[in-house]
Amino acid sequence: MLAPRLLLLALLACGLAAWAQPDATEEILKQAIVLHQAGNIAGAIQAYEKYLARRPDSVLALSNLGAAYARVGRYQDAIVQYRHALKLQPGYPSAELNLALAYYKTGQTETAAGMLEKVHRAAPEELQPVLLLADCRLGMGQNKKVIELLTPFAERRPDDLAIAYLLGTALVRDDQPARGQVLVDRILRHGDSAETWLLLGTAKLNAGDFPAALADLAKAVDLNSNLPDVYSYYGQALLRTGDPAGATAAYRKALAANPYDFTANLQLAVLLTEDEKIAEALACLGRAQQVRPNDLAVRYQLAAIALHDGKLDAARRDLESIVKEAPRYTEAHVALATVYYRLRRKDDGDRERAIVQKLNAAAQVKQQQGVNVK
Amino acid sequence: MTALSRGSVVCLAWMAATVYLVDAAPLETCGACHRAETQAFAASGMAGALSSARNSSILRALPKLTARIGLYSYVIARAGNESILTVSDGKETLRVPIAWVFGQGSVGQTFVFQMEDRWYESRVSYFSGTGGLDLTLGMEDITPHNLLEAAGRLVGPAEMGLCFDCHATNVVKTPALDLAGMIEGVQCERCHQGAEAHLQAVRARSPGATMKRLGALSTEELSDFCGQCHRTWSQVAVRGPHGIENVRFQPYRLANSKCYDAADRRIRCTACHDPHHEIETSLAAYDTKCAACHSLAARRNGAATRLCRVGVRECVKCHMPKLDLPGAHAKFTDHWIRIAKPNAPYPN
Repeated sequence: MLAPRLLLLALLACGLAAWAQPDATEEILKQAIVLHQAGNIAGAIQAYEKYLARRPDSVLALSNLGAAYARVGRYQDAIVQYRHALKLQPGYPSAELNLALAYYKTGQTETAAGMLEKVHRAAPEELQPVLLLADCRLGMGQNKKVIELLTPFAERRPDDLAIAYLLGTALVRDDQPARGQVLVDRILRHGDSAETWLLLGTAKLNAGDFPAALADLAKAVDLNSNLPDVYSYYGQALLRTGDPAGATAAYRKALAANPYDFTANLQLAVLLTEDEKIAEALACLGRAQQVRPNDLAVRYQLAAIALHDGKLDAARRDLESIVKEAPRYTEAHVALATVYYRLRRKDDGDRERAIVQKLNAAAQVKQQQGVNVK
Repeated sequence: MTALSRGSVVCLAWMAATVYLVDAAPLETCGACHRAETQAFAASGMAGALSSARNSSILRALPKLTARIGLYSYVIARAGNESILTVSDGKETLRVPIAWVFGQGSVGQTFVFQMEDRWYESRVSYFSGTGGLDLTLGMEDITPHNLLEAAGRLVGPAEMGLCFDCHATNVVKTPALDLAGMIEGVQCERCHQGAEAHLQAVRARSPGATMKRLGALSTEELSDFCGQCHRTWSQVAVRGPHGIENVRFQPYRLANSKCYDAADRRIRCTACHDPHHEIETSLAAYDTKCAACHSLAARRNGAATRLCRVGVRECVKCHMPKLDLPGAHAKFTDHWIRIAKPNAPYPN
């Protein structure tokens, strides 16, 4: 998403300035940074670790070692280093942002967003934390918060395509296609881009025009298959147009690019459950839950798997809690009715079944009145 | 909030009625011990739920079927052992051999063909109510843009696997649809899974030759079991269809009945329908099933049920009315048991 390289360079620059009185130990740090800059990350990690064995409280080395770990995908190790650095020197430049980025990469989106809020408050005009925060909020489905966050920036920086894209995506996902279209047009002025087709495809997907969405999203994939979320939305369009095998492949590609893509994890879990690949489905749901810990759809899928596995009491507990929070969640009432009947609790099953009938009848009335029922 | 689920399958669960001859081999093997069941079942509609175009009795008996729907004309003509679907818009013509015939024909049959390794469901079906071709159920809202789309709807392998799995036996759905070992129609092992192992164990006089007794399933479990193909209550409740289109999905309709009791064996599917026999068409034959609860004798045994003030014969005629399904050219028995008042809206 947002390349951490700029942050790294800033850190490295700080590091270079710190070499006032080189001694043998400081030479190790100097060498580590040279290796780091040259792209020899394994060598840099070794050197940082050697240096830290002698100077365990070097905030610079801890932070740089975190950056090196992050570079090779060892995000959990990176988090340990960043947190140690921040403990020694709270508010250390860039360590908070890098730590947030590591949380983001490991799917701890909520924690990342919390840290980014803090960074944003400390430096409200800094664009990088704002964009990363907006991306976290999008991943968590908090579209309104993204709109609130980015609207003032979009007004001040009308030519910034990253802002236009993130804000446009939030508006489209928030069912505000007219406002979203303004930003799509802004991006369109800069030529035929994958971002534009992704936005257009997303809008059509939301509007229920699935074949048209599929065509737009296919173009987005063709233009830039590395664009974040592109395979996730392409998968949804394939699924909606009756190609679950294609959707499965698309979701797998989405997860190869971002293992914590919420939608891809959730939808792939649904497909895998239908194919009886329960262990893999549970792994997907675990990752989805890391991104959105209390998401009802994820909790519902987990309950459905418990029901499938015959764990009736676990399924009942989960479903009861879901319908308590979301009394109009028809699927959950349906599953709960089934659970009650299997537990020989006929009266409770009948009650749930009656609720389903009532909800379905209400949905049909709304449909007849032309109200879009989701 | 709603998790996506796979596209709805336009499953033509034609009701059984016509006597149909099927490949007897798998039945004979089970029939060595279960003779009465296998003999009766061989004549049932479920046993003839799928046939190849080559074996289709209806396509053989009706060598030329024609229809015109919108811009397109359709002909299904017999040529030797093949039946060819020809679609034309007056300028161009597409000819494809029909591969499979879904449904045993008492209500209708839908055809499936392949082009370039892709499966297509024919846009026209045969309807016994009219004795001819008409638009396939579920195709009403699909506008074809070319001859191929006019010939049929592209069906993905997963959906096609579900179709075959309900209409045939030994269908391999994953990792890829494999019909190499498929047997046409619903045969013993489609419902009695593990029948082959059971047979081998019996031959070897081995202990552990028992199979799962489907008769031991509870009312709710049996509803879900039959609902694998006839649609469960939960499937229809979540995904629809709603409205008269769901009159074909008996487990859903029955479960909505006021008298449905998930724990009462008197209301389960097999209380009225012997799965090994052709469906009973005499209305009076079902009276004893209703009377199992709604009779003085049942009340004496503790049933807290009401008695009908109108009559005691042919209960289902009033309480399970036969309803027209638009486009099917046939009536379906509504399994939502109720006091069906004239002109009352269709309950959903």
